[in-house]
Amino acid sequence: MLGAGKFGTPAQDLDDLTTHFYAARKHGEPHRVLVEAQPENENGSENDPKNYATFDFNKILKDEGGEEEKPDPNKPYTLGPKISDWDEQRGEWLKRNPNFPNFIRENKPRVLLVTGSSPKPCENPVGDHYLLKSIKNKIDYCRLHGIEIFYNMALLDAEMAGFWAKLPLIRKLLLSHPEVEFLWWMDSDAMFTDMAFELPWERYKDVNLVMHGWNEMVYDQKNWIGLNTGSFLLRNNQWALDLLDAWAPMGPKGKIRDEAGKILTRELKGRPVFEADDQSAMVYLLATQRDTWGNKVYLESGYYLHGYWGILVDKYEEMIENYHPGFGDHRWPLVTHFVGCKPCGKFGDYPVEKCLKQMDRAFNFGDNQVLQIYGFTHKSLASRRVKRVRNETGNPLEAKDDLGLMHPAFKAVKVDDSTM
Amino acid sequence: MGQDNGSTFTTQKRSSGGGSALPTTNGRAAGAAARTMIPRGRQIHKTFNNIKITILCGFVTILVLRGTIGIGNLSSSEADAVNQNLIEETNRVLAEIRSDKDPDDPADSTDEPQFLSLNDTYTLGPKIVGWDQQRKVWLSQNPEFPSSVNGKPRILLLTGSPPNPCDNPIGDHYLLKAVKNKIDYCRIHGIEIVYNMAHLDKELAGYWAKLPMIRRLMLSHPEVEWIWWMDSDAMFTDMVFEVPLSKYSNHNLVIHGYPDLLFEQKSWIALNTGSFLFRNCQWSLDLLDTWAPMGPKGPIREEAGKVLTANLKGRPAFEADDQSALIYLLLSQKEKWMDKVYVENQYYLHGYWLGLVERYEEMIEKYHPGLGDERWPFVTHFVGCKPCGSYGDYPVEQCLKSMERAFNFADNQVLKFYGFGHRGLLSPKIKRIANETATPLEYMDQVDIRRPVHGDESSGSSETKS
Repeated sequence: MLGAGKFGTPAQDLDDLTTHFYAARKHGEPHRVLVEAQPENENGSENDPKNYATFDFNKILKDEGGEEEKPDPNKPYTLGPKISDWDEQRGEWLKRNPNFPNFIRENKPRVLLVTGSSPKPCENPVGDHYLLKSIKNKIDYCRLHGIEIFYNMALLDAEMAGFWAKLPLIRKLLLSHPEVEFLWWMDSDAMFTDMAFELPWERYKDVNLVMHGWNEMVYDQKNWIGLNTGSFLLRNNQWALDLLDAWAPMGPKGKIRDEAGKILTRELKGRPVFEADDQSAMVYLLATQRDTWGNKVYLESGYYLHGYWGILVDKYEEMIENYHPGFGDHRWPLVTHFVGCKPCGKFGDYPVEKCLKQMDRAFNFGDNQVLQIYGFTHKSLASRRVKRVRNETGNPLEAKDDLGLMHPAFKAVKVDDSTM
Repeated sequence: MGQDNGSTFTTQKRSSGGGSALPTTNGRAAGAAARTMIPRGRQIHKTFNNIKITILCGFVTILVLRGTIGIGNLSSSEADAVNQNLIEETNRVLAEIRSDKDPDDPADSTDEPQFLSLNDTYTLGPKIVGWDQQRKVWLSQNPEFPSSVNGKPRILLLTGSPPNPCDNPIGDHYLLKAVKNKIDYCRIHGIEIVYNMAHLDKELAGYWAKLPMIRRLMLSHPEVEWIWWMDSDAMFTDMVFEVPLSKYSNHNLVIHGYPDLLFEQKSWIALNTGSFLFRNCQWSLDLLDTWAPMGPKGPIREEAGKVLTANLKGRPAFEADDQSALIYLLLSQKEKWMDKVYVENQYYLHGYWLGLVERYEEMIEKYHPGLGDERWPFVTHFVGCKPCGSYGDYPVEQCLKSMERAFNFADNQVLKFYGFGHRGLLSPKIKRIANETATPLEYMDQVDIRRPVHGDESSGSSETKS
């Protein structure tokens, strides 16, 4: 799945080892923990063509157009032709297109939030439902904050599959959208839980890459979870293209990725044994080439640009009681990221019940902040049902909007004096 | 584990030099005892036969084990049990998530929900008067939230789906694809999306749920000029076409349909409420108030259904639906409402999927995006497929294939901008259609949907323009 942090477990290592030894042998059916639940009432026969329950989706898909292009094994991997003058190209384009400015207002850059998932149905029967809730959650935050969304379902480069797929995608989007100042990558298993928090853009005016993390953990300890690439900002400029080029080489699947994985496990603190992932590669890159990149990278720990769900989800009720949206930090996390849950896949690192129930709670926690604009809230953090918390009146424009999200300042349009 | 077998193998081989291992120890003892009686040559021959049979049996055992349990599970009857528990636990959790039960339903709720009786009057909310004036005042006081951006009236697209998982996983997958499709169109055209997953009003559940939501959004967002409802089973298939709002400056409701079907035949499918636009104004609030009364579920909706079936042509017998109710309302109160209703059929604001999806290849060959009509349909609407339910009105294979085709047909128009396209309308894989270059903006200038090639007033900025 694109971007889901695959940290791996010894169980997965064993999996890899056994598959490696018996590569020629095909498993009949992958060993599934999550099995399609059969409906109890099987009206009609197995052959009823109008019954969705008995239909095999794999009959639908069909690839046309002959053989896929195979990469030349002798050529080293590149994300694309080298570009060295992107700042100039972009600058000229922006000048020619004043209707697509890269800053919407002063201190408000144009941001594109990028996320995505597989074009095929999830293995887990409720996986797509959680992807749907997750994108609704992102749609809500982005609508309130004037951010555009790109939901990717295409694998642009077969060599960079899995968590590495974001790199060719990010590069492609930067080059195709010169009007975008910041690209915000966000994993599909991350949700916004503070709808009122606006990113402190002025803080980042001199940097090009913002990730949640800690300097000591990355530069001193070389800890593989010293930063998180599940939610980060990348400015659209030459530096970013160069960074992507420096980041990519550990990615191509197969021997390169496996060997790179070994290097990363050896060099980074706490990293288990598995193939190279983009996050570890970033830690390694920054730790070993600090002079080249460090001064333009901001490791943010002042708020939860990425918030590990394990330490947050049990505290929601406490947060509701003691605090309010807008903090973005441990008091009211901006993002709750369900690292390791893998709701789309067959099995994750945590028990299914815990993951899915907590994802529901996080979703409702965020959704409540949107519903309150309209006078509603969920009956509880576990409930899909909503109840009214503000009576309708004959004067809707006088309605109290506690969080100021109905017409927030960060969504205001720049008022041109000449139009008055 | 492989090595275990191998070493057992070798053990057998190794000891075969002087006779076989365990199974044939007795044989050897017997052989030893019998050695005195059986000639040596025959004894060796017998030993070799035993070895051959042992090897053969061992080989067959391994094959069977590899084929069935699998090497990794040889010692895992315990692991199997754990796995079985995991599977059961997971299935229990999934069943709970997929059921309609909610932890906050009152413990003493009877199976019989409370319905409004036929004598009760239902309202969407307190009557609002003078909304046009209220809105105008608000807009003048809030210039940073204008109702037009860059010369285009502000549109809000409203869509949604129920809060529970679909009866089938494939339903959720297509809801996800449909929302991606809408995100793409709206990003290109500067339209905001509200994806509703809440039942704001338990009386008006199901297809009626859009009414309270439309009203709620109008009243909360005076800066929005048009609210565009779109069903979750409708997809944009023309990424370039824009709704010609200037055509509707004297109208408040834009809906796809056919006037002759409506006025002459009184057909229940004369209009389609799967995709329509409401202007944010007093007239619309009044229409919503007049439309809603057939909606409350229970006896009201049942009785209303009978009235609708009796009065509209071709309508089957079932509870009142919002589409039939609107048709009936507009017919019976024609003079009051019709002058502000635009029944549009010049382009497919709603395009019934049958008859369209088969022709996509022909369209690709002969036409181009931007037409919005039968040559390149604006919206393809999968009426009757119901992938979120258990049964549809059409064969599943036909529906899913068609939905996949529509999705990819539209996605190709988005991917083209990035130099890619699908490997066929049924393929999730993509192929490159334009080579990467060191000057990507040149290619982009040729294919950018958002900026007309003839370079007149462009769209997409958030800046207000005079």
